Amino acid sequence: MSQMTAPRTNARYSPVQLHRNARALHLSHLRWLNFGWIVVLAALLLSLLGIAAIATTEPGYARKQAVLLVLALGSAALVAVPHYRWMRRLSYILLIIGILLLIFVLLPFVPESIVRPRNGARRWINLVVMDMQPSELTKLFYIFALATYLRLRKVHRRLFGLFVPLVLTFVPMALIVVEPDLGTALVFLPTFFAMMVAAGARLRHIALIVLIGMMTAPAMYPILRDHQKERIQALVYQIRGDDRYINDIGYQGYKAMTLVGAGGVTGVGHEHARDLIHYNKLPEEHNDMVFAVIACRWGMLGAVATWALFGLMAIGGLLTAAVCREPFARLVVVGVTAVFLAQMTVNTGMTIGLLPITGMTLPFVSYGGSSLVSAWIMVGVVLNIGLRRERSLMRQEAFEFSDEEDDA
Amino acid sequence: MPASTTVAETRRIAFGMFHRRLVLLALVVLVVVAVLSLQVMRLTVVEGDTRRAIAEASLDRVTYLPTYRGRIIDRRGNVLARDRASYELAISYDVITGDWSRQQARLLARKEAGREPWSRMSRWDRQRLTNQHVATFEAERQQLFTTICLLGDIDRVELDQRLDKIKRRVESMAAIVHDQQRQKAFKAYGGDGSSFKFNPRPIFEQEAAHTVLTNLRDAVALEFNRMARERDGILEVRDTRRREYPWKRVEVEVDRSTLPRPLASNERARLPVVGVADHVLGRVRIGARDEDIRRHPFRDLRDGSVSLAGYRPVGDEVGISGLESAFESHLRGKWGRVIEHVDTGDEDRTTPEPGRDLQITLDLMLQARIQAILDPSIGLTRVQPWHQNPALPVGTALLSSVVVIEVESGEVLALVCKPTMADAELMSDDDVKRTSPWINRATEAVYPPGSIIKPLVLIAAAKDALHDLHDPIECTGHYFAQDKSAARCWIYREKWNMQTHGPLFANEAIAKSCNIFFYTLADRLGIDRLLYWYERFGLGEPLDIGLLAPALYTDDEGKIRERFVGESGGYLPTEAHIQEMADKQYLNFTSVILGIGQGPVTWTPLQAANAYATIARGGVTRDATLIPYAGHREGRSREDIPMSRELTNITLDGLRLAVTEGTGHRIVYGDGDEERILRAPGVSTWAKTGTAQSPPYPLGDVDGDGKIDYSRESVEVIHDLDHSWFVGLVGPRDTDVPMYAIAVIVEYGGSGGRVAGPIADQVIRALQAERYLPDS
Repeated sequence: MSQMTAPRTNARYSPVQLHRNARALHLSHLRWLNFGWIVVLAALLLSLLGIAAIATTEPGYARKQAVLLVLALGSAALVAVPHYRWMRRLSYILLIIGILLLIFVLLPFVPESIVRPRNGARRWINLVVMDMQPSELTKLFYIFALATYLRLRKVHRRLFGLFVPLVLTFVPMALIVVEPDLGTALVFLPTFFAMMVAAGARLRHIALIVLIGMMTAPAMYPILRDHQKERIQALVYQIRGDDRYINDIGYQGYKAMTLVGAGGVTGVGHEHARDLIHYNKLPEEHNDMVFAVIACRWGMLGAVATWALFGLMAIGGLLTAAVCREPFARLVVVGVTAVFLAQMTVNTGMTIGLLPITGMTLPFVSYGGSSLVSAWIMVGVVLNIGLRRERSLMRQEAFEFSDEEDDA
Repeated sequence: MPASTTVAETRRIAFGMFHRRLVLLALVVLVVVAVLSLQVMRLTVVEGDTRRAIAEASLDRVTYLPTYRGRIIDRRGNVLARDRASYELAISYDVITGDWSRQQARLLARKEAGREPWSRMSRWDRQRLTNQHVATFEAERQQLFTTICLLGDIDRVELDQRLDKIKRRVESMAAIVHDQQRQKAFKAYGGDGSSFKFNPRPIFEQEAAHTVLTNLRDAVALEFNRMARERDGILEVRDTRRREYPWKRVEVEVDRSTLPRPLASNERARLPVVGVADHVLGRVRIGARDEDIRRHPFRDLRDGSVSLAGYRPVGDEVGISGLESAFESHLRGKWGRVIEHVDTGDEDRTTPEPGRDLQITLDLMLQARIQAILDPSIGLTRVQPWHQNPALPVGTALLSSVVVIEVESGEVLALVCKPTMADAELMSDDDVKRTSPWINRATEAVYPPGSIIKPLVLIAAAKDALHDLHDPIECTGHYFAQDKSAARCWIYREKWNMQTHGPLFANEAIAKSCNIFFYTLADRLGIDRLLYWYERFGLGEPLDIGLLAPALYTDDEGKIRERFVGESGGYLPTEAHIQEMADKQYLNFTSVILGIGQGPVTWTPLQAANAYATIARGGVTRDATLIPYAGHREGRSREDIPMSRELTNITLDGLRLAVTEGTGHRIVYGDGDEERILRAPGVSTWAKTGTAQSPPYPLGDVDGDGKIDYSRESVEVIHDLDHSWFVGLVGPRDTDVPMYAIAVIVEYGGSGGRVAGPIADQVIRALQAERYLPDS
């Protein structure tokens, strides 16, 4: 007991000192040198590339984007501070909030001052300073939720164990499809598969789901909107080399491909690229079609550099996941990386005529606050995980100690 | 749960399944990036240049500057054809069809509804809102038409007809193009059209403006220009060129006192002559058609390259017949072009290259005078009692043509065809079908030569040493001893008591046009040699005086092919034809009657005049030409037919005798009432008449079945009619040298001397009036 009272007089156990000690303990658990910084670096370079690309045609937007980048960096830093366990603990609540927001934008009686439809799509909530897309946040919340669900389980190694994760995926996806925002909705699928693969689901089960999905996809075709059908058709014709749609539904894709090709190997330079893009009337050039601007201005090298930066980001993400020992954190990093890569694939794929045109931004590069900030928030999450040092190797990790062999 | 882990276990954990899975994901990323990179390489490296060209094309704003077509000038410097600046009004196609009203109504409806609500609307709602406004815009469109009628000074019916014509033309063009597009798409992508939606691309004409008013006065053009500025893209005032033919209408004085006595009077009438030389000059069309564009496109659709000499669908002048067509590339020039680089503001200007002028050998005034002679109002080309036409009633108008060639140079001075194209425009459809007035009868119509070919047969036989000019040949009335009805001489007839000519020398035979003499020579020559010599004199293929022009036609299999039109070469039997005649046992008969220009042989009046000019030059060929020095033939010329002085003299003597005492001597009007055919003073003449059995006379659509009926197959039989030829040479009396060759033909006229002869006399007088020959 005396020992219990003794510390009172001992400076080492004063409340202030305790706090200091705790803080030191906390900081000693931070791994300052970690792979998360690779992701940050790649994201930063992509953001700067984006500002330069936007400046090609819209210098004013580029300045705005630079300001938004500062905001986005701040958001990322903020997200990196609290321990990610809080994200795990709040994950289901966050997902429910995200789904409620998705329902909110679809509610017909919500005034247009709050939810302003654009081109017939209800995706944005007006936050005065900038618009917010609930679907962007929901992507992250979905990753948290799925990672939380998978972290201590083995059920997903059975075929029927995949049921709950699939339901978890389809609920937000369906809501986003209704907005309509097919592109964002489709990003959920690669994210889901990447996380399932990382979580150790049997590849044959995943292959089965992919197969069923591919077989039922044509059945989904009739429920697509007319413009979506036409875009798919336009893509089919475009790939076949048929130019019949180049003046209507295929116009955007055709113009983008033309400008990508016009860039050649090394690009046409700032001024000429600006003129070409302006007089060829490329729509959405600072936004969804920013990759065409990059390819036109800096040529094939610019395009490859963009992919290289995304590749660097993937490496950083996967390495962060690899050294991390906490199942939730690993899966979150894999999920976030998958989101970036999926968006990159859809966006650049549609720009160069391999995928149908959908309203999909290129993360970090495209103009737009909502897209930029949410992408950086995800980078913040990765950095957060990268910073945390493991406290124990003793922790059990469900899928890690399986006796079963890999079924590759 | 193990309390502690071994080193081995730690390793296993360090690189467990999770890490293998991460490697798998990394590989997926790698594959995706590789696929993307391949595509971007395809776009930038493989297709980069093409795509950059396409992208950079949008930096250029191109305007094309019209060019002038070259002039056509006659031998005296008269400008027969020229381009004149002209304003015209064009209306955009959607206004013509009325689609414009719907589009405008739709735009307005969308504007009123707002973009967002509009995008949420059902198709029916959109339709309904649009329909509310259609009437307003339709009224505006009609008001526009009314204004156009008022300013352009045409009535509404006329305007509607023009619009309708444009609509029908564009629709039929679009139907063809879209059909091709559809077939191409089906061929390329398979299926029968049910598997995918086919979207026809609008053709150029559906997006262009079309000319509805031409030749606008400056003030009117200015007013329309103001309107065009107010209504962007609906109206267009175009500064274009129009082809103009200043000598199309000429007044000519005709001295009726020189006409054959029954037609003569002391009246000196001034006769308006319309459409002078229009067959020779030809026509231009404004606006190239598919066939022109296919032949020489302005924009090559395969690589997008532009040829400034090519044809553009709108506002381009295209020669479609006569010299305008034959010398199209010489006359047309090249478009100019201004490429404005919108990014830099620079301008590349290619000035239009005007077409070159074309000098021709025709004498416009001579041509006009001769055309006046052929006018039915003068009487020479109407059936007269003294023509003794066996079937056609007196007063029937006859079709005719005249060719005048300068012997020395082969230059064509006149090439007259009646009816002219100007006449053709006034004809009824039935007459057009019956008479084919669009062909140039002097160069394109072919006729059996009849007796006018006889001098050629004499020269052929003499050249082949099959006839000694000092030996006579006896006319026995009929050629084949065993058959008195076939191959007879023309005087061996019952009404003339079966006369014969008796023994004749060559010059007499020509003068009397004895058939037996020339049957004999033809028989000696045989068909092969005879045809050989006919070919040497220019039969069987076009002379190419400068009127040959390519034209497209659709053959029996529906394929589009090219052939040359504007001149015909006539017909000589082919080897297959000769074989067929041999097989059917009448080759001998045929080769004999070929000697008097009957049977399977035809030629044009031009070829006839040309052959006579060759004889006048003593066999030196200098084929007729409309272009000075025959520059267009690039030195190609026919081999000479060297004639001995004696042969030339005897042949010319025969032709002289023919007009002084032979078949071309005189016309008998009645008992003791007669007159010389060639009475023009101060000239020497050499000529041959021809009365050539003609094909059936076209009566027109007698039974109303939409087809032309000919005399032989109709109820009303018109017995064998003859084309009337008169071909000869004329020169001043003091030198006694033939200077001009003249060929006259009157279709179904009957006797060459009586019908075509007086016309030849008037042609000589026309030459005198134009100072080619002395008139005393």
